[in-house]
Formats: sequence, structure tokens, C-alpha cells
Amino acid sequence: MKCLIVSLGILFICHLVHSYEGTITEELLIKPLYSEQVYTHFQFSTKWDIDPDKETFRHSPLFPRPLGEIVQRFDIQELHVTLTSGLWRYEKWGYPVKDAATGVEVLAWFKPGSDVDKNWKLLANSLSGLLCASLNFIDNTNTIKPEFSFRPRGILESNLLNNSYVRYANLPHEIVCTENLTPWKKLLPCDSRTGLASLLNSGHIHNTRYHSIGLHLRPVCRDKSCESMSLELQQTVSLVYDYLILGTKNWSLRKLFGQGINRKCVLVSKSDVYVDTTNQDIELEPPPDETVTSVRGGQVTTLQKYIVSNQFLNIYAKFQNADLVSLNLPPPLHANQYLSGYGQERGGIVTKIYNNHWKQIDVVLMQNIPWFIPIYLHTLKVTADGRDIKPIQLRYIPARQRERPTYLEVLLTVPARTATSVVIDFDYVFLKWQEYPPDANFGFHIGSAVISSYLPVARNYTAVPWDGSLISDSFNASRSGYLVEVRTENLIITLPTPDFSMPYNVICLACTVVALAFGPLHNITTRKLILKSKRKVLLIERIKKFLFSLKKTKTE
Amino acid sequence: MHLLNVYFFLFSISVVQSFSNKNHTNNWAVLVDTSRFWFNYRHVANVLSIYRSVKRLGIPDSQIILMIADDMACNPRNPRPGTVFNNADQHINVYGDDVEVDYRGYEVTVENFVRLLTGRLPPGTPRSKQLLSDEGSNVLIYLTGHGGDGFLKFQDSEEITSQEMADALEQMWQKQRYNEIFFMIDTCQAASMYERFYSPNILAVGSSLVGEDSLSHHVDSSIGVYIIDRYTYYALEFLEKVNPQSDKSMGEFLKVCPKSVCISTVGVRKDLFNRNPDNVPITDFFGSIRPVEVLCDLSNVTLLQSKQLSQEEAFKPKKYRYIDPIVNFNTIKS
Repeated sequence: MKCLIVSLGILFICHLVHSYEGTITEELLIKPLYSEQVYTHFQFSTKWDIDPDKETFRHSPLFPRPLGEIVQRFDIQELHVTLTSGLWRYEKWGYPVKDAATGVEVLAWFKPGSDVDKNWKLLANSLSGLLCASLNFIDNTNTIKPEFSFRPRGILESNLLNNSYVRYANLPHEIVCTENLTPWKKLLPCDSRTGLASLLNSGHIHNTRYHSIGLHLRPVCRDKSCESMSLELQQTVSLVYDYLILGTKNWSLRKLFGQGINRKCVLVSKSDVYVDTTNQDIELEPPPDETVTSVRGGQVTTLQKYIVSNQFLNIYAKFQNADLVSLNLPPPLHANQYLSGYGQERGGIVTKIYNNHWKQIDVVLMQNIPWFIPIYLHTLKVTADGRDIKPIQLRYIPARQRERPTYLEVLLTVPARTATSVVIDFDYVFLKWQEYPPDANFGFHIGSAVISSYLPVARNYTAVPWDGSLISDSFNASRSGYLVEVRTENLIITLPTPDFSMPYNVICLACTVVALAFGPLHNITTRKLILKSKRKVLLIERIKKFLFSLKKTKTE
Repeated sequence: MHLLNVYFFLFSISVVQSFSNKNHTNNWAVLVDTSRFWFNYRHVANVLSIYRSVKRLGIPDSQIILMIADDMACNPRNPRPGTVFNNADQHINVYGDDVEVDYRGYEVTVENFVRLLTGRLPPGTPRSKQLLSDEGSNVLIYLTGHGGDGFLKFQDSEEITSQEMADALEQMWQKQRYNEIFFMIDTCQAASMYERFYSPNILAVGSSLVGEDSLSHHVDSSIGVYIIDRYTYYALEFLEKVNPQSDKSMGEFLKVCPKSVCISTVGVRKDLFNRNPDNVPITDFFGSIRPVEVLCDLSNVTLLQSKQLSQEEAFKPKKYRYIDPIVNFNTIKS
């Protein structure tokens, strides 16, 4: 009986899949990095052949309904949310499939004509409920509307862009833990029981150097003609495991994730694992189903492909020569950010952009600086090799206290083989007593800068091209350029913090002083003071008096 | 005539009685850890212990409001990332693999807590951050943190007084937001927090009396701090033996930590509670057992035919395109 029900259920699901116009694909890319790490990137793509403008999102068999409701209610064109812990080291690791800054980043494009400010706040609230993060702290005080960075990744009908429909905010202090992964996993079609998602066990995710959870939603072309839309949702997880933490360089799925892949998720149309073996002397066990060679922008990549079936799969990688370390060329463009200055009065934010390419590169530097760090635009200085560089364009909206952050976007041409530094000075300010967080002495975060560029070469580049959806679309995908959105480190500054016990101390001290002063004052003001003259009595007079008194007594 | 009056009076009393004795229809849990910083690891372990138990006993995540003031599981100081254990032998990972924290970090404030209880939340608050209880709800409120005589500290920066707590519960009662409340608090001088309650149907238990400290259980040397508080440790030990079908009573739960093991005296307040705790199943507050009635007469629902055809008629091919990934520098330069 039970079997019958199960089989009926499966039939029903199969029926749903067939009647449903859309596909789900899950992919896992494993890339041993040149340094002592291995990078794993999960991507679950749901493509739904509907017109987002007409769909009510009431019936969404494969697409997560909570997200559909959000899309519909808040008139969302495009949405990108990432929750990240740790820092992606561009210099050593190359470029990730999806760039993400430490903490939380939310980027949304709204449909033209919608009430963007209201929808943005409500969207942040809804996402905070959906992902169990404090995204409700996103409001006008930390949101900017970038003009050059973060252009829409999905399709548009018109070519005209209006940055009043884009909103970007980051919360650099947000932590990421199992509580964010749990609701994220619930958006997957097969939950976390089967398929690649079964590898995502919290105990094996948080012992990594870097982990990033993402939700990326955009409209894409339904077919080649691109006359109708589809909605694409990409759920991604990026993890960087350190060989030191793993204890060995020879990794396996079980070692990385605690278990192998048991079964394929029935709803998924394609489930593949790719292992990048470029310039790596790795022996893989079991042997791969296919070997893919990809030539992209002059870079040759060798990938081993495994097709996940209903058989148990545990990929085991053994380095033939563990002592051999391959040299890594740093990527064409990477960046750092740090604080300059000393003392508690003035400081500066320095963003260093390294161009390792032989040609100059055009970049867009975007910064979202909190309002409590007032910066001075006249101190903005861009130098490379001691020479001043004039920005091509500058967009700047100064902060307004407690209302909006500083928005700065600089378009630059970075000279070849140099480190260009962008310096801007700021002041340390006092906040109101109630505005300090409970752990004020920890410091205050400044979010990462974002450096966007369209690179001419694809060295160390793994991202999926603009017009593709899957990791497999990035194979042999040579384009005129390769977009990178490099994130820098977050900064922590220690604002002058008052002694929070001060009010209590002041009350105690003031009361003591009042009490001490009150007694004498009370005495002085309530008692009547009379002056009493005191005449000096001479000794002879005293004797006289005494004798007189004796005489008196005798006569008596 | 008089007799009839008396009869009516008795009848109305019995109606009221039956109403007040009626079973609850749903269960909610509000679990709050109010302490920040690593040295308060034990308070997070406390609140997660109760979270684990209520979840195991059947309250769904959508009806548990979990407030945690700091991140212990993924704290850089935690040698075992993604876990919070209830004892040094790592018996139970109370954080687990499936946890949803509704309010965390700086969101754990007195204001948010009182707003949550009284339902006065700003518009746009997601469902997971709302206590959507009704007059049939049994609500478990668990608080842990640092307290004193008549107050409980939130995040080392503000505090809620016992009077404020009592007023919030009264407001809940007046707004028909609960049927019964089990108020549980594990702090120093815990009993002072429920002394001022004046709303009906509240059963309260505190880990220590006024003037007493509530003590922690033991240190985990790899973590470097106390790992759990005594009262909650023994409460969890008891709850682990409970399953949704078991017939353990609240009366047994109230005696879970005698003075010999707790060191502090566990305080109980029963005067506001109508029922005898010995007759109240523990699952009335910690679980979610609902009487389910199976209906046999099926009603046919016809599928609504959507107006897809007319939409397709109106469909006109548009030309969509991807735009350039980055702004064209040449046009700006010129």
C-alpha cells in the first residue's frame, strides 16, 4: 500500500514536472586553487518559462513560492542577495563564480513606475524573514543608487537605464551561520535530502575559510530569438576549504562535505559535478564520465565531468606529487582597502587597485560609506606611481546625518602594471548616546568598495557569462570582455566611544555633592545668627569683682 | 423566581468554567537570550536547549520566535564551528542542523521584545517575526540572561523591569493573545521577574528566588567559558526523556531541579493559574498536540480555468536584450 502511494506520488511529481514549463539544474564546480585551498561552488538554477509581469505566482510547482510572492508584491525586476563570511582573496584565488562582499549585500532593480522607496524597505523586511538575517536594518541610511556599477544582468526591453530604480545596501557586520542556510535550503526543490544539496551539512560548511550563500533572480531570454521572458533563479553556495583544516591535500566529497551524493533529485533535469584539473596533477577516483576542455579568452581549462545518477557518488582526488606547488599568476585586477591616519580626529580610506595586465584598464570604483563617517571630497586623490590621475567621471552624494550615506562612484583608467591608490579623508564624529550599539567598543564597519571592470582577458576567471545561466555555459564562452566586480575588505573604525557608565557616575557624584552642600546651606539659611559682643575683662577688675562678691556674702 | 435566577447563575458559571477549561488550539514559543559576548555562551546554550526541545516535541519553526543576542555557533572563538553543545562531552548539539533564528544580534532589544508580545509591530514585519497567537494559544515564554531584583538586562545596555513585563502580559491578555502562558526564566533573582504579574492563566517558574544567584553548570575547557546554566541543564535532561506521546505533567517539570543540584531554589508561582499543574500534560506548553478530526465526505473542487487563452491572444512578441555589462567608457570620455 505504502509503495503504491509513493509510486503514485512520484508519478504525480513526474507529471507536474512535465506539465511545468521550466527546468531545474544543479551543478557543482570543484576547483583546487593554486594556494592551499580548494574552491567548491554549488549552483541550483531554476528557469521558469513565464512572463514575470503577467504571472500571479500562485501556482509555482518548482519555483519557491515565498520568493515568487516577494517578486510580485514588490515589483522586482532583478534581485541579488548574498550572505558571506570570510574574505575572498582575489590575489591568490583568482575570481569566484559570484563576487560577494563580507557580510550581507542586497541589490534590487525594481520595475519602472513602482514606489521604489517603500518597496525597498518592505523587501528588506521580507528578506529578513525569509533568510533569518537582520536585513531589516537596511533603510535609507545605508542605501545608495549606483549609476555606473551594478547594471541589470537580466534582459530589458529598452536600452535606457534609470538608476532611480536600483537600490544597493550592504551590512558588513552581519554574521552568516546555519540559521541562514536552513531557510535557504528550504527554497530548493528537493530540500536537502537528495541531489547535490544533500552535501550542504552545516558542520562541514562553517569550518571553511570562506563561505557565501546567494540568491540571484533575473529575467532571461526564453530562447534564441529573445522575444519572450523567463524567470531565472540561481541559488549559489561558495565554499573555500583549507587543506590545513582538512588535514590533507587529497580531498574527497566525503571529506569535504561529510558524505557523498546518494541519489539524484527527481525534479532536476541535469545534475553535474565538474572538477577543474587544469595544471593540477590529480588522479580522480572514480574516473570521470567526460573530460571537457574549455578555451575561453585564451585561457585553457580542463574539467572532469561527473553526471549524478541514482548511484552513490564519492569523488576522491589524489595529488600525484603533493610537494609540487604550481605557480599562480595573480589575476589581472584586484584591490585592497585600508585605513590611514592616526589619532581620534582624522583618518583616511585608501583603496588600492592593482592592475597586473600589460594594458590600462577602465574601472568603476563604488563606495557606500556610512553617514557617521563624514568624508571630504576635496581630499580625494588618485595616484599611480606618484603621478596624479584625473578621474574620468565622478558621482558623489554627500551623507546627511542619520538620513543617507555617502555615495561615491569614480570612473578611472588604471595604468598598466601599477597599483593605483584612491585616498579620501574623513573625520571621526561623536554619535548620540543612544546610537551606540551594545558592543560599541568593537568598532564600526565600513562596507567593502566595489571595483567593476570589463577585463579583456579571462585569466583566473570562472564566472558564468552574461547570456548564460549554467556553469557549463561558461565553457568555451569567449566574449569581448569579462565582467568582474571585485570586493575589498571591510574596514572597522573605532569611533570615540563614551564611558557608558558615565551618567550613573555623574548622578552618584552630583548627589554626593548636593548632599554635602545641602547640610551647611540648610543650617545657614534656617538658623538665626546673632552677633554677641565679647568684652575683654581685665585681671584687676576680676579680682575687684571677686572681692566685691566676698564682701557681699559677708555682709549677708 | 429566585430559584430560576440561581439556576441561571449556576449555568452561566458552568459555561464560564467550561470556557476557561477549554483546551488550547495552538502552541507558540517565545525564546529569548538577552546576553551578548562570548563569556555568555551559556545563555545561548540555554535558549537553544529549550528551542531544541519544543521543536522536537512538535512546535513548528513558524510558531517559535527565537531571539539570540549574539552569534556563538559561528563565532571565531568557537573551536567547533556551527555547533553549540549543552555539555563538555558534546552530548547534544543544541544548535543543530536545522535552526531558524528570528531576531538576532542588535535586534534583541526590550522594545522589540515588548512589541513582539503585544503585537504592536511596524508594518511590513515578516510573519516569522510576529507572535500571531490568539485566544486559543498556549504560549511558552522562556527568558535567560543576566537579571537582578526586578529587572532583566538586555545586551548589557538596557533592561526590562518586572513591572514592564507584567504590563506586557496584561496587554496580551486584554488583546486575547493567549489562552495560557508558561513563563520560564533562568537568571539571577529570577523570581523577582514574575512577582508583579497580575494577568490570569499564567504559570511561572524561575531558576532562583529573590536574593539568590542562579548558577552555571560546568566549564568546557576547549571553549574556555561556562557552557550551560544549572536549571536549564536539568530541564533539558528532563525534556529529552519526554516524547509527544508521554504523559509527563507540568507538575513534574516544576520539580526538575531540586536545591541539591540547582544550588539555587527554584521559584514557582501558581496562584494565577487555574489548573493544577500536576494534571497539565507537559505537551500543553512544550509540544503541539492537536486533536485531528478526519472528514470522510469529500467535496469536489473544480479547477479554475485561467484566462490563459485570452492572454495568449494579447501576446505580442517583444524584443528583449541583455544590456552591456558595464558602462561604455568611450562615450563618457568623449
